[in-house]
Amino acid sequence: MAFYRGQQGSVKFDDAGATAVAIASTRSWSMTVEKESLDTTALGNTYRANVGGLISGSGTVELLYTASSADETNLFIEHVNTANDEGTALFELYLDTTGTKAIIFDGVITSAEYTATVGEIEVITCSFVSNGTITLNI
Amino acid sequence: MAAANLNTIRATIEGRLATELALSPAIPVVFHNQPYVPTPNSTWVQCLVSFGANNYLTLGGTTGSSNSIIGVIAINIFTPKGAGPGANLTIGKRIRDLYNRVVVSGVHFDPPIGPEVVAAPAPEGFFQTQVRLTFETFEDL
Repeated sequence: MAFYRGQQGSVKFDDAGATAVAIASTRSWSMTVEKESLDTTALGNTYRANVGGLISGSGTVELLYTASSADETNLFIEHVNTANDEGTALFELYLDTTGTKAIIFDGVITSAEYTATVGEIEVITCSFVSNGTITLNI
Repeated sequence: MAAANLNTIRATIEGRLATELALSPAIPVVFHNQPYVPTPNSTWVQCLVSFGANNYLTLGGTTGSSNSIIGVIAINIFTPKGAGPGANLTIGKRIRDLYNRVVVSGVHFDPPIGPEVVAAPAPEGFFQTQVRLTFETFEDL
């Protein structure tokens, strides 16, 4: 049975929504895909009934600050400051180094936390939400 | 990018000390695995660099990823016995100032510990203190 370790993952991004490229110095990523539940319980039922509703995703990417410029890593950490964001940026979150097992979606970066702490490497944490279809190739 | 050259890192650390202690007043300095027989009642310094923990810094495999390399430097300062601590601490300050929060060639030096008096000097016959500090450097694969 094959298991994977966290360092086998990676993150790709393209602000233009075309061809995603690797984001440098990514330390971690996480994503939660949620489905709303719609209560369809009828009067007189003993047990509650639910059906699935809208699906959405949200998560975070944590990366180390490297002063990169003029590349997708720089666009990624500054993308929260984009005006009129139509949510067309392409995200690809990979679980394996071969680059085939991924969660792919368009999304919006909703926050970026830039931190500098004495004695520690500077870290940027970007949060995102999905826009439209989420493809799970995992 | 390539795997870190530990010998280059060692040379960076040791070279900094060797250059400083070559200045007036010059003080003999010895490093790991070097023969040295100290003259009785003399002043000299021993610098020992060791590499320790390596940690994952970023996601990725053997390319496009980064590691953290942490090490420790122990610097023993020997001065004549029975002459008080002043001369020893003066050298200690020179050494402490040399590394304190300094970043050289990608090597980040942390604030030093000491100079701490060593109760049982080795070799005997000297007044010994020790300055210790950790350092961190980053490996880009």
